[in-house]
Amino acid sequence: MPKYSKFTQQELPACKPILTPKWVVSVFFLVGIIFVPVGVVSLLAARDVVEIVDRYDDACVPANMTDNKLAYIQNPNISKDCTRTLTITEDMKQPIFVYYQLDNFYQNHRRYVKSRNDGQLRDAAKANQTSACEPEKTTADGKPIVPCGLIAWSLFNDTYSFTRGNENLTVDKKDISWKSDREHKFGKNVYPSNFQNGLLKGGGTLDPAIPLSEQEDLIVWMRTAALPTFRKLYGRIYVDLKKNDTITVRLSNNYNTYNFGGKKKLVLSTATWLGGKNDFLGFAYVIVGGLCFFLAFAFTLLYFIKPRKLGDHNYLSWNRHPAGR
Amino acid sequence: MASERPLLDASPRPPPPPPPPASSLLPPPQQEPPLRADRLAFSLDVPDPFRREDHPQQQQPDASRSVVVGDPSAAAAAAAGFAGNAIRTAKYSVLTFLPRNLFEQFRRLSYVYFLAITVLNQLPQVAVFGRGASVLPLAFVLFVTAVKDAYEDFRRHRSDRQENNRLARVLAAFSAPGGGEFPPKKWKHIRVGDVVRVASSETLPADMVLLATSDPSGVAHVQTVNLDGETNLKTRYAKQETQVRFSQDGSVGGVLHCERPNRNIYGFQANLEIDGKRVSLGPSNIVLRGCELKNTTWAIGVVVYAGKETKVMLNSSGAPSKRSRLETQLNRETVILSIMLIGMCTTASVLAGIWILNHRGDLELTQFFREKDYTTGKNYNYYGMGMQIFITFLMAVIVYQVIIPISLYISMELVRLGQAYFMGADKDLYDESSRSKFQCRALNINEDLGQIKYVFSDKTGTLTENKMEFQCASIRGVDYCSGKDSCGYSVVVDDLLWTPKMAVRTDPQLLKLLRSGGTDEETKLALEFFLALAACNTIVPLVLDTRDSKQKLIDYQGESPDEQALVYAAASYGIVLVERTSGYVVIDVLGDRQRFDILGLHEFDSDRKRMSVIVGCPNKTVKLYVKGADSSLFGITKSSLDLDIVRATEAHLHKYSSLGLRTLVVGMRELSLPEFEEWQLAYENASTAVLGRGNLLRSVAANIENNIHILGATGIEDKLQDGVPEAIESLRQADIKVWILTGDKQETAISIGYSCKLLTNDMTQIVINSNSKESCKRSLEEALATAKKLRITSSTGTLSPELASESAGITLALIIDGNSLVYILETELQEELFKVARECSVVLCCRVAPLQKAGIVALIKNRTDDMTLAIGDGANDVSMIQMADVGVGISGQEGRQAVMASDFAMGQFRFLVPLLLVHGHWNYQRMSYMILYNFYKNATFVLVLFWYVLYTAFTLTTAITEWSSLLYTVLYTSLPTIVVGILDKDLSKETLLAYPKLYGSGQRDEKYNVNLFVLNMLEALWQSLVIFYIPYFAYRQSTIDMSSLGDLWALAPVIVVNMLLAMDIFRWNWIVHAFVWGTIAATTICLFVIDSIWVLPGYGCPRKLNAFMSLHAMVPHFVIKAFSEHFIPSDIQIAREIEKSENVNLVNRSEVSMTRLDDPRR
Repeated sequence: MPKYSKFTQQELPACKPILTPKWVVSVFFLVGIIFVPVGVVSLLAARDVVEIVDRYDDACVPANMTDNKLAYIQNPNISKDCTRTLTITEDMKQPIFVYYQLDNFYQNHRRYVKSRNDGQLRDAAKANQTSACEPEKTTADGKPIVPCGLIAWSLFNDTYSFTRGNENLTVDKKDISWKSDREHKFGKNVYPSNFQNGLLKGGGTLDPAIPLSEQEDLIVWMRTAALPTFRKLYGRIYVDLKKNDTITVRLSNNYNTYNFGGKKKLVLSTATWLGGKNDFLGFAYVIVGGLCFFLAFAFTLLYFIKPRKLGDHNYLSWNRHPAGR
Repeated sequence: MASERPLLDASPRPPPPPPPPASSLLPPPQQEPPLRADRLAFSLDVPDPFRREDHPQQQQPDASRSVVVGDPSAAAAAAAGFAGNAIRTAKYSVLTFLPRNLFEQFRRLSYVYFLAITVLNQLPQVAVFGRGASVLPLAFVLFVTAVKDAYEDFRRHRSDRQENNRLARVLAAFSAPGGGEFPPKKWKHIRVGDVVRVASSETLPADMVLLATSDPSGVAHVQTVNLDGETNLKTRYAKQETQVRFSQDGSVGGVLHCERPNRNIYGFQANLEIDGKRVSLGPSNIVLRGCELKNTTWAIGVVVYAGKETKVMLNSSGAPSKRSRLETQLNRETVILSIMLIGMCTTASVLAGIWILNHRGDLELTQFFREKDYTTGKNYNYYGMGMQIFITFLMAVIVYQVIIPISLYISMELVRLGQAYFMGADKDLYDESSRSKFQCRALNINEDLGQIKYVFSDKTGTLTENKMEFQCASIRGVDYCSGKDSCGYSVVVDDLLWTPKMAVRTDPQLLKLLRSGGTDEETKLALEFFLALAACNTIVPLVLDTRDSKQKLIDYQGESPDEQALVYAAASYGIVLVERTSGYVVIDVLGDRQRFDILGLHEFDSDRKRMSVIVGCPNKTVKLYVKGADSSLFGITKSSLDLDIVRATEAHLHKYSSLGLRTLVVGMRELSLPEFEEWQLAYENASTAVLGRGNLLRSVAANIENNIHILGATGIEDKLQDGVPEAIESLRQADIKVWILTGDKQETAISIGYSCKLLTNDMTQIVINSNSKESCKRSLEEALATAKKLRITSSTGTLSPELASESAGITLALIIDGNSLVYILETELQEELFKVARECSVVLCCRVAPLQKAGIVALIKNRTDDMTLAIGDGANDVSMIQMADVGVGISGQEGRQAVMASDFAMGQFRFLVPLLLVHGHWNYQRMSYMILYNFYKNATFVLVLFWYVLYTAFTLTTAITEWSSLLYTVLYTSLPTIVVGILDKDLSKETLLAYPKLYGSGQRDEKYNVNLFVLNMLEALWQSLVIFYIPYFAYRQSTIDMSSLGDLWALAPVIVVNMLLAMDIFRWNWIVHAFVWGTIAATTICLFVIDSIWVLPGYGCPRKLNAFMSLHAMVPHFVIKAFSEHFIPSDIQIAREIEKSENVNLVNRSEVSMTRLDDPRR
């Protein structure tokens, strides 16, 4: 005789949930009650964020070269300096985040994402480790590039400085990268070498005297963006800005996006606990929460119009077409 | 149709009879058996599934082997290619394990697919995942299977070693030291030609021809339980020539010619050349490896087949592998998924091509592409448009391959294992009387049990117990049927009281008649009747000790339960079979011990449908006793003589069979001297023939069996098993059609049909009973017309025809016999029969041969999509069991052949109800859900990957780390489905048994079909869109990096698919809770762990838990579920509600059959 137990006989005590009308309506209500307030709060939070976006890649091309932007950006003899004026639309509380935004730049392109070597970045002894860095692996005479790979090579190198009237607004570029990256991914004793010496310059250069762990622009850049339109933190301004303040931005427009139709934007933004100015989530919660309220109502109505006794034998298919009818 | 099951005589394998004497016409009673020139020579005509394969071998004249007795070396064994006795059941050796095991595993097509993907990933141009990571899942699966196989093989090696190193006593050559003795030798060193001595209770090391035994007449008893599961003793004989020679001087010799090794364990043909004589050998002279010698002090035999050529080894093949219907359907969906996969890959690669085309001019300078490697000046990893598209396509295949879930196959195996465990552990499937557990022999068709539409059942031993009980006797036209009390009858032998083991109810009138000692014709014939019963059989009486030293029990051992019943009956009336040796039987006739010589025996075969013995009586007359089917015996009676008796007997037979009794007719004839001599000559010739012996013997028998006087008839009750009518009723309510296929005759079949409630009085019976093709055709057409007429008259309303035939309350029953089937099966009339049978709710096929049984199953199986189940217990059911989609074997009295061929084995017919209605329903529901869910969850994940590709310039970057994507199928989502697949129950056992119609959901493919698949894919599409786009829109134009977003996209599907599973689970016990919530927690932990390894790119990613916002995706599923459950409820839904609201009632209702430990009313 096999051993008898509740387990072997598949008789373990169990809860058997059934979606009774009561349950259905309460679930919808509950979800609605949770989602709508969450949505409203996040909408409000998103509304609080002040964001100023200025696209400058086209505007910074001299009028005579708008037909040939590529020649403009590739000619080292043309000054890339450019001045933009921004008007503050709302009061902005410090800290104000300065981002640059690139559109159409596929930092997630397969060739690009793979083209780095984390070992080399972390450990000075592994400077020769340049596998996966093609096509930016070594110099023509075979010396390893540190940091190697397309990502580092294409380092963004536009710079910005801000003035309000005569007041210089200093941009704090400390701590713009992740602490974990600085501490564990980029070595304190790894120094750039042979960097940006090739025929084709992809972007910015690095000071060979500063270890990688302190090259925060590089660290930010190398944390590749998930989507082709992305922002990267440039720095923070610890000054409150008032509505209708005029900010003058002096920038050097070095980075080449003209070639593939990319856009460059400068973004000033305050921040809330929720993140940036994005009300999508708020809307999503409000809409779904509202939908749940509606469904709760609709189901209540349906249950009243077409009630059905639970567990009614008459609803069994063989009882609905009984024999002899 | 030559190998047909005995129809009236249930003996499936008549054993060889004692040998006839050839020297004298009427040998006087002798104390010592005389020397006989010729002994046993038989060919068995036995229903055997392997028989067809054996025919070609038997017909080749040169297909024989020669064995020199006692001289293995001179037998040139090696040259002739005889196998040694070492056996090897292990599949692998240390060296061959790896290649062979891999080869075995890669015979699954899906593994080849995964291997191809893995290999593809090793090419540097298309490598998506790290090399190690991509190999891991496949390697894991292969490794687990290999370890399992290795362990099993290790066990086989160990048992092989034990088996091969067992010791047997083998005759040493006379020239060698110790010649003439039997020193021990390891089994593996035994060769063909060796002479082996086996003692009582020892196992035989090889197939041997008996040369001599401790019994002077050369009898040996063997138990063949290891071979066919039959526990009764079988009698085997040594030839008198060798027996005498050995007993005289202990020598052996001669040359033996026998068939090539074959699988037929009931057939053997050979002859032995000894002392210039040729002696024929048959299946009664061979003892097979694996059998045990019993009740015989020793036996000596010469090895003829050794090792892998022994019959037991040739027969040791596993059950045939079947494929479940769900798995076949699953392949269809796999094809759809493959098309989807190709579609996705094509889309991705074409879009990638278009993107490259649009940016053709920019690629060199674009920072994130940079076509050229300036150190070499060549293009880097760019091979032009066409190649680029092609490579993208291959990469896409690697990335999206998960859409065909590798884990599903392992999950299915595991789930089936779990289901099999629970089926085996179910106390409702445990047979107390035979102590047999439910066995799941085929592990891959569990879910088919939930979709059965046709049950083909054998009758004897399946519906009935196969315990025969003698009930009625009709002797010379007088019916003695009023047996009341069973009075045991004992005989006194040497001051000891011998009592038959079983007493049979006796008719007082008949008893009185016999005991009267009268000399009138009536008494004499009654005596003659019982003498025929006691002598005309193959029963061996065994005398057992009892606690009382003065009393001994006679146990009648035999292979046919009918014969046992008859002999016990004769014993109860005072005609006690006391002893059977080769050549004579001793019968105690009302206290007077008499010896009858058995001069010849014509065993049962399906053409003659009778058996006969030729007996030399103490009064020196020679008599022929015949017993057999009525049709067969009435055909050979001297009808002119006893017309009245024949008529009366026929009437009695009719009465018996309508009572559900199995009937046999007994007849006799006295032989005159010339007749006997003529017969004897023919019999001897036929017996020594090596080829065509069976046919020759048959014709000899047919010649002598004529002009029979009818002695009477017997009625034996074949008791129905417990709960058969109830089980059949439940099956019928579940819309399962039950067909009975039996070897019995029509009346018996119909009466059994009535007694098990398959047939009822309000049914219209269509009987097809024809002897030619034309009349068959006519009957079928008429039947079809009747069926149509009935349907028209009943379907006056708008109801569908199916409902109409039921609603009108007129159901059809088709009764057809084997004769008609000969003209129908495998001809164009099959189609007609199929049409008729479909109209009928009950079909009874009587007098069908084993192959016809399979033919009928095939008739349904090949013409419909309906699932068929065949259930049987005997060797004659093997073909049917193997033919049906699901074969169930009853481990009963008729041996283990059916069980060995079956997919599931159990003890009782009535277990079919819980097996199908409960376990089948659960298995089907669970497995269907698990398959659909696996498709859905992998599709969701792959689609999330796919949407991301639209934002990576179509370059197949995955934001989700490779580890997450590999672990997704293997770890993050598979465990809960396995647990749910094993444990979830939509309805309780009680409900399912109370409402058999709930079984219909499986029959109608309600839980797994293309619609559900499409629905699941749409669900996957929707959910993947939500999972992808909510984070996308939430983090658009933000600083979010790939790894962080990737983590969200990895965790969100895990949460969503597990929540969906949670919504669909019917029963939450603690195990399910633990696995579902545990998995979500474990995934989160895993992601944190992965991200805390700083080598990996995701190191330090925050905000993972935002993945919970993807729960928005659940809304539609919940709405649809809530809506459909309330407004378009399925039967199962209603039943669940009933179960919940009327829990107490249900328990009350089922209290009769279930003794619940937890009665809720207490």
